[in-house]
Amino acid sequence: MSWDKAAITGVGTSRMGTFPGETSNSLAKEAFVNAIRDAGIPKDEIDGLITMPGTTSPEGAKHYLALGELLGINPRIAWSISMGGATVGTLISQAALAIDAGMAKTVAVVFGDAAKTGGSRFGAAAGDGDSWGIWGMFGNAANSALVASRHMDVYGTTSEQLGWVGVTTRKHAALNPNAIMREPYTIEDHQNSRMIVDPLHLLDCCIISDGAVCIIVTSPERARDNATHPVRIMGMGQANTLQKLERDDWWYMPHQKEAISDAYRMAGVGPKDIDVAQLYDNFTISVLMWLEHGGFVKPGESGPFVEGGERISIGGELPINTSGGNLSESYMQGWLHVVEGVRQMRHEGGPRQVKDAEVTLVTGRGFTLNTSAALVLGR
Amino acid sequence: MSELIEPVITDINRPFWEGTRVGELRVQKCLACGHLRYPLAPWCPVCLDENTEWIALSGRGTILSRLIFHQSYHPAWKERLPYNVVLVQLEEGPRMFSNVLPLSSQDIEVDMPVKVAFDPEGDFVIPRFKRIE
Repeated sequence: MSWDKAAITGVGTSRMGTFPGETSNSLAKEAFVNAIRDAGIPKDEIDGLITMPGTTSPEGAKHYLALGELLGINPRIAWSISMGGATVGTLISQAALAIDAGMAKTVAVVFGDAAKTGGSRFGAAAGDGDSWGIWGMFGNAANSALVASRHMDVYGTTSEQLGWVGVTTRKHAALNPNAIMREPYTIEDHQNSRMIVDPLHLLDCCIISDGAVCIIVTSPERARDNATHPVRIMGMGQANTLQKLERDDWWYMPHQKEAISDAYRMAGVGPKDIDVAQLYDNFTISVLMWLEHGGFVKPGESGPFVEGGERISIGGELPINTSGGNLSESYMQGWLHVVEGVRQMRHEGGPRQVKDAEVTLVTGRGFTLNTSAALVLGR
Repeated sequence: MSELIEPVITDINRPFWEGTRVGELRVQKCLACGHLRYPLAPWCPVCLDENTEWIALSGRGTILSRLIFHQSYHPAWKERLPYNVVLVQLEEGPRMFSNVLPLSSQDIEVDMPVKVAFDPEGDFVIPRFKRIE
């Protein structure tokens, strides 16, 4: 049995790219307008506004307050949270639970960021007490390189196998007119791209972009009356490793397996039921980890699974990141992964539609290998 | 060289950085449950007891993972590119980020045995590691 006590009734995005003069909130407004238009509902129907502050949002945890004023909304529930790439899954879960509890009827879940024009760098040093910068350890790429390096040494995973993730999802982006990076590239191009933090090349890293996303969540009953085919929220999961060095297998992100297992259990499904997956890809290695944590392959077998790209292509065994993902579509911190999950479930994918797709897994992760969230959505 | 990133000395980390000056890699030991903790913290993350003593570790460990930075993220490290960063599994249990000396060395493998080496830098002595056979 699946959960199904709330549904996604609308999605909206802003333009994606580089937009000098725009702010996180001006982009968020653009996405919000498109989302309520998609759902076919008036603004007045929104009685929940929950948000993620962008890296360029000055308001921090009070972001909902500023955005609500700009959008002219006086909602029942309102808050902002910051869990990096796990935020969108968590916010959708919170919206769904609030709707099921009767605390709100229709919730707008919003993120906007002018990260590209704002010069966000994602390069800070972490550390507890003493900064890891003392030893030169900086940035999000390094955290994922740590995972990739050990995965390679323990399981024999290769840089070329990582490359197949980027090459394949770029091929998918070429089918998406809204993707920022649409030019196909080869494994050779991947290997020749400059090293950022060995073992990760430039083409193992996501892009940085300006943009915004809004997702409208409501009850299944209300969703039936709206303009779009309702997308079922079948299962939700969240799990975190808030420690870093103190957890012995921190590098393997064991919490991600827990988040997906919980979402599967709630949805009454398993990996074999997933027709298409949108797996958070801040770096190529992250996709390999999701394949293992989602039970699609055994630990250590994700490298050979993606090799050649066929299994993860549209038409393959498990198509992933059908709109291009963070690596090629736009870096919206996983928010577009939910939008694409919704479009696939509505069968609106056009040339990138996975035929007869009924169930999709959407994942997100954030910070220093710390947070994770998973959603199982259904047609 | 640009300004180094140096430790900010607090009551919590002072014994650690005093230890490196005299050739000791020290961590905190919880007096209540015996847990050895690193990163340094005001109380034990296992049992939350605040009573602590400092002990010197053997300094021996193995490489859990290794990175080579080719991209500069901070002016202090720009001139040292490419340099390695390693995650070390210390013999007694704790794990720490550090470097293998020389900083430019790249032939570092997982599970490789290493031992701490005390590396003077600016006003401090930084614990780094050397390969042992």
